[in-house]
Amino acid sequence: MSESPKVLLSTLMVLGAQSLEKAIPIDELALKLGIGVSELQVELDKLTGAGYAVTTRQAGRVRVYLTGTGVITASSAYS
Amino acid sequence: MALASLGHEVHVITLDFPGAPYEELQGSLYIHRVPVSAPAPSFHSWVLLFNNFFEKRVGQLAHEFGPPDVLHIHDWLTVPAGVAAKHLLRVPLVMTFHSTEASRSSNSPSTESAMVEGLEWWGSFEAARIIAVSGWMKSEVLTRLKTPEDKVEQIPNAVEPLKFEGPVDAMAARARWNVGEGQKMITAVGRLTPQKGFDDLIRAYPAIRRAVPESRLVIVGDGHMRTELESIADQEHVREVTTFTGFISDGELVEALRSSDVVVVPSRFEPFGIIALEAMAAGVPLVVSRVGGLKEIVDDSMDGIEVEPNNPSAIAEATIRILSDKELASRLAARGEEKVKSYSWENVAKRTLGVYQDAARRTKYE
Repeated sequence: MSESPKVLLSTLMVLGAQSLEKAIPIDELALKLGIGVSELQVELDKLTGAGYAVTTRQAGRVRVYLTGTGVITASSAYS
Repeated sequence: MALASLGHEVHVITLDFPGAPYEELQGSLYIHRVPVSAPAPSFHSWVLLFNNFFEKRVGQLAHEFGPPDVLHIHDWLTVPAGVAAKHLLRVPLVMTFHSTEASRSSNSPSTESAMVEGLEWWGSFEAARIIAVSGWMKSEVLTRLKTPEDKVEQIPNAVEPLKFEGPVDAMAARARWNVGEGQKMITAVGRLTPQKGFDDLIRAYPAIRRAVPESRLVIVGDGHMRTELESIADQEHVREVTTFTGFISDGELVEALRSSDVVVVPSRFEPFGIIALEAMAAGVPLVVSRVGGLKEIVDDSMDGIEVEPNNPSAIAEATIRILSDKELASRLAARGEEKVKSYSWENVAKRTLGVYQDAARRTKYE
């Protein structure tokens, strides 16, 4: 099992990125995870493709937040 | 909901969820969804953080409605809030174990697992009574947490058989998941995680296809293992005849089960196995792994077929038997439908009330 989607999902969850209003800029997220933005973008594409997350552009910055499905998937990893 | 239906006032405190209201009232069931208004550096520290928010909400509710007669927590995630509320409000605490960290993590030690196991023990120590969802789970609690036996009650999970009755447009449902007319639908349902053993089912599927070429495999659910499972289906050359539905609604799950020819539960570890009961309620024959709660629900060759876990050949053989023998499939399904009637929510609610009353008797504050 690949760990990276799991880590990314739970990171978005614990940072509270669960709605459009709470979406996190992906450059800040990349800093927190200690990876480059382009590397993060590859992982985010997987999450958005699977319906776990949504990316949006606000005030010139790309932001990301979890969908309900993403929240359920992140939660299920630890229960 | 079953406790509320019996006339009790039930308050459920849970996490905020996208799109759901913070407060909801259904009869005498109150749902309080709590937003966690601060970020955390890791999942485990976040759990401790949200427990603080839960504790605050319990305090607010105790002021608004009065202290509860009993507090009930589930698994490790809400132990800190439950224990704190127990001592602050001086009310009995009941804890349900649906699984344990040791079994979830396959005994692989980590600092996070040690913390979770510590919380499990703390909850079991502080609770006046413990509910285990299966005999296997009860044995886990007794042996791993050294809990006195008279503290633990085995109460199963339940299903609502009525939910599985009524007309279903099976043809439309099957078409939605690429199962054509006259084809056999093999269904597996659950989180796509290693413990569920869906990789074994996919590895079993080529043999099933050779024996039953008109079959289609439908895997319902989602999870971290999805990409890996899709790759395995590619490697086994069955990707074209396997559908991954992702998450589906409760209504669609009923349609999926009612439209299936067989449901396979290939889990490596399953503390209870609610999907086995749901398949029985839907009148579908079952193949299950001989593990945990599944082997307690299913009587082998009576109302399902049990196979050893981690064994694609055994899964294939049992699935082929059911798909090839209509009489066997009907007999297993009929007995399953009869058995599931004893797993009603009303029964579970009444037994849970008994545990609450006993917890109250055992809890004394000077």
